[in-house]
Amino acid sequence: MTAEEDLRQLALLAEVDDLTESLRAWVEGEACWETGRRCRALIRRLLSRMDTLRFRLESPLVVATFGGTGTGKSSLVNALVGQEVTSVGRQRPTTTTPVLLCHPDMPLDSVGIDTEHLDVRPIEAPILRDIVVLDCPDPDTSDAATAGSNLAILRSVLPQCDVLIYTSTQQKYRNARIIDELADAAGGCRIVFVQTHAEMDSDIRDDWKKYLSSQYEVPEMFFVDSVRALQEQQDNYRPSGEFGRLLDMLGRELQASRRVEIRRANLVELLQEALHDCQQKYQSKQPAIDALLQTLEQQRSELKAALSQQLCDDLLVNRSLWESRLLSSVTDKWGFSPFSAVLRFYNGLGAFIASFTFFRARTSAQMALIGAVQGARWIRSRNEEQEAESSLERLSTFGIQDRQLQESRLVISGHLREAGLDTSDQQDRQDLSDLRRRAASVEDEFLGDARRVIDSAIEELAVAHTGWITKARYEILFLLYVVFLIGRVGYNFFWSSFLGPVVSNVPEEDLLAVDFYIPALIFFVIWSALLVTVYMMRLRRGLLRRVRQFADRFAESTLSHGLFPDVENACRRVERDQQTLASLAERTDEFKRRMNDDSSSRLGGRRPQTAGKKENAPEA
Amino acid sequence: MSPAVAANRTFESVAETVRQLFDGVQVLQQKAEFLQPAELDGQEWFELLRQKLLPQLGNDPWMVAAVVGGTNIGKSVTFNHLAQCQASATSPLASGTKHPVCLVPEGFEDRHDLQQIFPDFRLHRWSEAGRALEESDDHELYWRTAPELPSTLLVLDTPDIDSDARVNWVRADAVRRCADVLIAVLTQQKYNDAAVKEFFRKAAAEDKAVLVVFNQCLLPDDEQYWPVWLKTFCDETGLSPDAVYLAPADRRAAEDLKLPFYERPWPVGEDWGADDVGEFATPRDLSADLSNLRFQEIRIRTLRGSLESLLDADRGLPRHLQQLSASSREVAVTSERLSSEAVLKIRDWPTPPNAVFVDEIRAWWKNRQEGWARRINRFYDTVGTGVTWPLKMARNAIQGEPVPPLDKYRDAEWSAVLTTVEELFDKLQWMADTGNHLIKPKIEHILAASTRTRLIELLRREHAKVDFQEELRTIVASEMQNFSADSPEMFRFYKQLNNVTAAVRPMTSIVLFSLGMGPAGETVAPIVANTAANMVVHVVTDVAGGTAAAVAGDAALSNAAGTSAGMLQAWFHRLHSVFTQRRVDWLTGLIREHLLGELSDEIHAAAAIQQSSEFDAVTSCMQRLREQLAEIPHADEVNPVPPDIRDAAESPLPENRPGSDADGSSFGKVDA
Repeated sequence: MTAEEDLRQLALLAEVDDLTESLRAWVEGEACWETGRRCRALIRRLLSRMDTLRFRLESPLVVATFGGTGTGKSSLVNALVGQEVTSVGRQRPTTTTPVLLCHPDMPLDSVGIDTEHLDVRPIEAPILRDIVVLDCPDPDTSDAATAGSNLAILRSVLPQCDVLIYTSTQQKYRNARIIDELADAAGGCRIVFVQTHAEMDSDIRDDWKKYLSSQYEVPEMFFVDSVRALQEQQDNYRPSGEFGRLLDMLGRELQASRRVEIRRANLVELLQEALHDCQQKYQSKQPAIDALLQTLEQQRSELKAALSQQLCDDLLVNRSLWESRLLSSVTDKWGFSPFSAVLRFYNGLGAFIASFTFFRARTSAQMALIGAVQGARWIRSRNEEQEAESSLERLSTFGIQDRQLQESRLVISGHLREAGLDTSDQQDRQDLSDLRRRAASVEDEFLGDARRVIDSAIEELAVAHTGWITKARYEILFLLYVVFLIGRVGYNFFWSSFLGPVVSNVPEEDLLAVDFYIPALIFFVIWSALLVTVYMMRLRRGLLRRVRQFADRFAESTLSHGLFPDVENACRRVERDQQTLASLAERTDEFKRRMNDDSSSRLGGRRPQTAGKKENAPEA
Repeated sequence: MSPAVAANRTFESVAETVRQLFDGVQVLQQKAEFLQPAELDGQEWFELLRQKLLPQLGNDPWMVAAVVGGTNIGKSVTFNHLAQCQASATSPLASGTKHPVCLVPEGFEDRHDLQQIFPDFRLHRWSEAGRALEESDDHELYWRTAPELPSTLLVLDTPDIDSDARVNWVRADAVRRCADVLIAVLTQQKYNDAAVKEFFRKAAAEDKAVLVVFNQCLLPDDEQYWPVWLKTFCDETGLSPDAVYLAPADRRAAEDLKLPFYERPWPVGEDWGADDVGEFATPRDLSADLSNLRFQEIRIRTLRGSLESLLDADRGLPRHLQQLSASSREVAVTSERLSSEAVLKIRDWPTPPNAVFVDEIRAWWKNRQEGWARRINRFYDTVGTGVTWPLKMARNAIQGEPVPPLDKYRDAEWSAVLTTVEELFDKLQWMADTGNHLIKPKIEHILAASTRTRLIELLRREHAKVDFQEELRTIVASEMQNFSADSPEMFRFYKQLNNVTAAVRPMTSIVLFSLGMGPAGETVAPIVANTAANMVVHVVTDVAGGTAAAVAGDAALSNAAGTSAGMLQAWFHRLHSVFTQRRVDWLTGLIREHLLGELSDEIHAAAAIQQSSEFDAVTSCMQRLREQLAEIPHADEVNPVPPDIRDAAESPLPENRPGSDADGSSFGKVDA
């Protein structure tokens, strides 16, 4: 073997190694659903089989005969080695024990197949320098693969073979049993198609090929007369005609330098089939997963809609809370001034009265309005309360009610069952607390968003209503009364009751008494209240519209997770798993394609079975 | 009376039984659908019944001969030799003949309905040999008249029995069943093939007459082998051929319809060889030999054989019935187990607050008061309303509008409904996981997510429709009616009505499936024992049995009713439990109707299939058939002469020569 060839083979090996490594990584990864686990188990088995194949990568190829009884398997073997080594008969079946023919110089250990049940015969023949030949019993005389039957024996030896010589005759080429058996055996094997009994039968190769080609690659078919070929060899001639061609082809294709290539092709083919099989299984579960995802998505949007609706309603109902927050924000913006002091006072008074409601804040909207600090405290106490709540009084004040949780869970568990997903969500049925906690977290998240929106809205409104013109207008109006009052009191105090009489003999008036201050105060209250009310009306304007806008904005925002985060994660994992599988399969296909492209092999084999094409063998 | 006539008489009565059996079996099959019995179509005994016994048990007998064998071994060639023309197209490619070709004697189609003889085939008059090679999904049969055929002999060429075109097997099997004589074409490559042997094993079970033709023999080399082949073939299939022929591998002769068929004696000694051929060296005329078969004898033999196959304990109808019974028993065992375990215990079905009951009772009472009592009452009511109005307003202002108690109850009940449904699904899941393979898929279907969504939607809709006020009114009215019979207590009761505080939570059990005794017997007994101790009222509702609800709290009630307060409490227990029972009945009714459907009825019927009249009808038919079979004379009784199939001394047409069992007439064709 030249260094170049050596290098080429090593490169091939490395590529196969690389592929198997990624497969192994996939197999070792965790599967969170039944189908995934099953497929992994399948690939795992295959990988272990690949290991044994890899040990034998360099050993001689095992070439086995395969075909119905009386199709001339043993005759063909005799003709191949040029001597009568296995018995040929007219009784059916003739061969019952597989006969292994190998070169006497070849150590059997290196072949790496189990020879315990084989009849091993060392034969000096040129063709056996590179390969060992296994003459197999037939697959079609046994009714079932009972122990010791030809079929059982055949099935035990076939997995160890690298190349099948599939012999058939005019009578048997469409025998259902043989075809079924071949479909099982052909995975991971190269196949040579041979029609025997050329001395008697008509040439049916075209029909046969037409019929095989949907499932098998059939580059070449041979139509041989084994008896004559043997005779020719015994007469020291080279076999002529089709048999000569067959011998040439076998000598060329099965020589030592092709071993790695053939085995690699077999290996990859096995992988390819298994992966396609897995993909099919995955695909068959896809509708269930899709349905689950759809339901989750639907539930999430329903949940959000319910929460938004609830929030909206509550916001509209709790206008006083709104106003008080808005007012405090406005007074912050206003800065210190007489009118802002009044506003602050009214707000404080209102807050004091409303505080009864505050402490009993129960709804999401109130929550959002109260703001973060109290909200957190409230949630904590609320949760404790929830835990303590007896199962009878389930009426929740949450936007998310227990019954909604129950309904969702009922449906989701049905989906889970159909999809074969397993998640930790499948817990004790009687216990809703876990789900409630998750609902609370969903609500918390939602409220967090809502709070931000409301905060910004209030900020916006506050800024809009504290422009300097507005400020000046209200300040002046308010101050008018105050200035008048101060002027009136000042005039009385300084002038008419004290300085006037002294300076210009104006008759002295009394100092203003309580009966002045009380009405003054009353008018002050009325005046300031009037101003505050007018201002509040101004604030209120467009409030309704704004709340509606909120609802839209909430509905557009997305919840990062629904009630069943585990299920959602599981679905995502399944999706990823599927993608990984698809990419692995794609890689294997690509590898196989490349291999086919740069191989000049004249050996046949099974076509990769893609979805949907598996069962139907065409008729004629 | 001659045995042949006796046999025909018997056949007529058998024909009647067979017809009954045929119908009975189909009815039973439908009835037993739940048990998923093996499909009748495709079962050997049933196909025999349909394809052989039903059409051929008439009193106008004929005989069917069919050429059968593996693909590409010369069936059509052999057939053409019988027909003495290219009736069936031949091809070097395998699986050529796709549809049977039939030779019909002249005038036969006027006397008989060919369609009835070949019930599975679409009949076409033969036009050219190539038609039978065309592929189609339907079973076609091409027939042509052959004037040289005996008037009661049909000869068929059949598709193969071993190629991958499995539809061919179906057609070949159909032909085999209705045939009396099989011309088995074998070759050295195929005589020991599993598919071929399987086919002839069935033929042997039906006691067909078989002529073996070893085709493509290398003569004289194979002269020493054919006895070995035939012996293997006979040992493996259980056939004993009535005649054996060898045909040489001579393609030219085959194409020219000049293939010689050499007859060979059977059985022969082990040392048979080319030297022993002697008198058998001249080829024979296959069609003449066929025409000279002893029809009457063969017909009785094959009908007997078919009947025996039908009644065979291991393969026939008895086996089918046995399987039915077995799966029925299995279902019975499973369903009994399900019955004992399928009880949902609902602990927290809510009850409406007592105040609601009290209000309802007051309303009931008010309606029955008369005269001044009524007026006084109304006055007090008005005053009461006026006095409490400000208080109510204040309360509403502080606490918000109170939720009406029945709305509260509606919500609570919906919650309970969901819990129940959830538990129900758990239970069903458990049943699906542990249950019988027949019940499992049904339950799996129920468990599907779409079913769940539908059920919840439906329940939600129905639940929203329920008028609880009306429910309450009905219950209170009926209970008060009962109670007022005991009028002395009435007044006391009414006085204490305001003191009612007892909160009662009836415990509800829902029985999903029940078998035999019914649910109440088993499930209620332990509950009643508990009841006395716990003072909890139990309601048992049977989903399967519809509204067969049982309240098991009466014992507890009478125990507690000694004191008036106790009595009042007990009475409210009762009111609650009646209400709960009604509600749970409502739920189980819906579940039964929309979720479980007919499942439990089906399970019942399936478990009791052996007791059904349909089953009885079939078994009694079978019994009758057995007796009738015993009366049919054996073939050798019909003709005591040692069997020699070429014995021309027999009447093939019993209707022509009644009473004669040894006659020299033959069918228009004489031994060559």
